[in-house]
Amino acid sequence: MNHPSEEQLVLFHYGEAANHDEVAGHLGACDSCRVHYQALQRVLAAVDSLPALERADNYGQEVWRQLRPRLAERAVHARGRWSEFLRLFRYPRWALAGALGLLLLGSFLVGRFSSREPMSPPVARRLAQPVSPPARERVLLKEISDHLERSQMALIELINSKNNGAVDVSMEQILARELVAINRLFRRAAADAGEPGTASILEELETVLVEVANGPPKLSETEFAALHQRIDSGGLLFKVKVLSAEMREKEQDTARSLARVKS
Amino acid sequence: MMEESDAALVTRAREGDQDAFGVLVENHSQALFRLAFRMTGNEHDAEDIVQETFLRAHRQLGRFESRASFRTWLHRIAANCSLDLLRKRQRHRDEDDAVDLESAEAIPAMQSRAPAPDQELLHAEVHQQVVYALEHLTPMERTAFVLRHFEGRSIEEIGTTLGAGSNATKQSIFRAVQKIRRALEPMVKATP
Repeated sequence: MNHPSEEQLVLFHYGEAANHDEVAGHLGACDSCRVHYQALQRVLAAVDSLPALERADNYGQEVWRQLRPRLAERAVHARGRWSEFLRLFRYPRWALAGALGLLLLGSFLVGRFSSREPMSPPVARRLAQPVSPPARERVLLKEISDHLERSQMALIELINSKNNGAVDVSMEQILARELVAINRLFRRAAADAGEPGTASILEELETVLVEVANGPPKLSETEFAALHQRIDSGGLLFKVKVLSAEMREKEQDTARSLARVKS
Repeated sequence: MMEESDAALVTRAREGDQDAFGVLVENHSQALFRLAFRMTGNEHDAEDIVQETFLRAHRQLGRFESRASFRTWLHRIAANCSLDLLRKRQRHRDEDDAVDLESAEAIPAMQSRAPAPDQELLHAEVHQQVVYALEHLTPMERTAFVLRHFEGRSIEEIGTTLGAGSNATKQSIFRAVQKIRRALEPMVKATP
């Protein structure tokens, strides 16, 4: 063989040369290449001589001592988010909020919603009680802003789930499926209530949620990049954040008005 | 008493057993610290990376494939955390002090001091020069080199960690060795 290149010698040293035996044979026969290779070995041996910095024997315990409260904190946070999220779908609260929303936004959704989610007797009793329009509006605004905040979190989780290679989005997919159903209701209601701006943002959000919900649980790097790009390009996250803040502000204004009326 | 295997501990940790995760932390912290220190060259950063690695691992435990080696998976996360840090560091590096990291000629051999009176001092200088050379590799080169040279990872595994193809990974290792060689060769020749 010809004299091996420096790159081939490096790969040979690490046992990664495709033509390992040929290089070995050549080094046995060619003095100049052998000298060159020995120089490389000396350099790499010098790198090996760098002492490793060791921690004390109890370092692992120390790491765990510091880590444990952080993990517990995260677990509480995660549990809080999940239980809050799941509670939304255990119908008393959702049914109440949804029904109140329907009252506010018109009769458009009444038929659809009540036929899908039978109300429990306590909820029905509560709904039978007179509720003032501002109180209904407040509950609805709160539900929408909560939904937008959850969607925002889902998008953030999604874009942060990047790892090298395939990206597992199975958890985000479960969340997206749940969010799509609610989002659809709010979007239609907003369109019917003559809120095209809100409806348009909810539509954009729905497109991404549907894509995640119906897509594969594992995305290739290219697929993930394309999804990331779609979330980024229209500034969806920002729009959802702004809309959520607006809704929250309106809800707080309504709450203050209600408090003033009561006092 | 026989130690519980990583696989068994991972299974328990996935089921919510915090103590099992604690044992994994205790078992792997030392090795992760060594890797992170090789990657960053900074004790404090290495400790932060160890913590961050376990936080990420805990979050992604459900995604870990049981057939794989937990150690390898953990080291891959640590390498990625280190790579992120090296990239941030590179972005923030003061332009005045910046060295053209992509150029193989970029690492000047440190100025030789007065001739070393003894071998120990010469070794110390070699060590210093190794540290200096490693610091002046690009994040990709350093990660690839550390994973290959110190961790013994295959080109394929390193490529997966870096999100790079086999040729790009080989090139990164080769460029790293080339730069280290230029920086060290004059001193290594002098070392008996």
